Amino acid sequence: MSLVESRGTVTVAVERCKGCELCIPACPPRVLRMSAERNALGVPYPELLPGCTGCGACLLVCPDFCFEIYQYEVPVQHEVPS
Amino acid sequence: MTTSHAAPEKPTRRLMEGSEAIVEAAIAAGCRFFAGYPMTPFTEVLEHFASKLPEAGGVCINAESELEAVGMAWGALATGARAATGSTGQGLALMQESLSEITRAELPLVVFHMARGQYDYHQATRGGGHGDYHHVVFAPIDVHEAVELTQLAFHLADHWRNPVQIQGDFLLAHTAEAVSVEPHMFEPLPAKEWAVDGSLGGSGRSRNINPIGMSKGAKGIEPESFWQRLQDKHDAMAAAEARAESEGCDDAEVVVVAFGSLARFARHAVRALRREGVRVGYVRPITLWPFPAEAVARAAQGARRVAVLEQNAGQMIDDVRLAVLGRAPVVPIGGISSDEAGFGIGPILDPDDVRRRIGLALDMQEARS
Repeated sequence: MSLVESRGTVTVAVERCKGCELCIPACPPRVLRMSAERNALGVPYPELLPGCTGCGACLLVCPDFCFEIYQYEVPVQHEVPS
Repeated sequence: MTTSHAAPEKPTRRLMEGSEAIVEAAIAAGCRFFAGYPMTPFTEVLEHFASKLPEAGGVCINAESELEAVGMAWGALATGARAATGSTGQGLALMQESLSEITRAELPLVVFHMARGQYDYHQATRGGGHGDYHHVVFAPIDVHEAVELTQLAFHLADHWRNPVQIQGDFLLAHTAEAVSVEPHMFEPLPAKEWAVDGSLGGSGRSRNINPIGMSKGAKGIEPESFWQRLQDKHDAMAAAEARAESEGCDDAEVVVVAFGSLARFARHAVRALRREGVRVGYVRPITLWPFPAEAVARAAQGARRVAVLEQNAGQMIDDVRLAVLGRAPVVPIGGISSDEAGFGIGPILDPDDVRRRIGLALDMQEARS
């Protein structure tokens, strides 16, 4: 196991997402991936992995305002398989 | 709304641009009415009020002009609601008559001024209305302070029954910072027994709000005693509300005075210079009115020069000169600095440039008389 630090986190308005995937390459730490599940529109939506910095790049690039960005007062450590 | 991740449990700060954070703070402070007319960089304040106020049980109106917007806010205030308006300096120029009248009617208006550059210091502190009147004017340095001061603005407006202005700019309105908006508890305020809220309808004792100090049933007005009472109130406000922040002024050869967003650059440059052993200090008026003259004078004590950094042709420098009263030369190191749209995003908003300007003040030779 290894430790990954999250300085922030995001919420995703899943039902508003049209699955355009613009956020995936926009994320500087590359911690967004498209879901295996599909929303009511029938498309996959972004999911967050550990390592978010709370930078807001996804918020800026999302055409549908699906993201809200939060920053932790104290970074959160996640144990992930190495 | 469905989310793929629950909002975090720990208290966290949400990333918001200044406009949104100010609106969240206003609603947390109990603001339930807003009217405005779009104008960059104020537009997003209106947009966020429009999207958030209905959810909070309030009303936001996109007026047909700034004149109407301030009139609508006036009406809402008269009923006892917490209400606000705002614009840029250009829009506030249209509101000046109402702003002076609202002050005389002793209504607790909050005004959000997102200035283009910092061109409206004189407008904010002197105003273009008539007679002896003042508004408390807060100039937050960043989004976090804007959240605090917005809530304080609504409290003080009610406390003094006098308008309070938040003086922001393009940078404050559009800079995203992670902030937490928690409702503040202030000391309890008296009930608004002056409000025309319909509670006395038909009783023959209904109330009257007007800007000439005339009460219902009075045979005439006594302008001198009314104006004197307002002036006494303004004197009390001036004595109670001046706020400033200073740093490194005890041994400073040059003291930099700056407010608002530009003060953030000044503070950064002064800290960097001090780390290199340069004796510079910094004082920031948090209130533009009342101007913290004592704090500025104290900061300037012993300084060889006082350097005023503002993003205009020289407006606050008048108040700095009055505060320093000739004890040290007061020199402008700011100036007009804008983009081609006139929004105030000029080359001066650069730490290296601000540092260079402070350096010029350090290197200036004393004028020989």
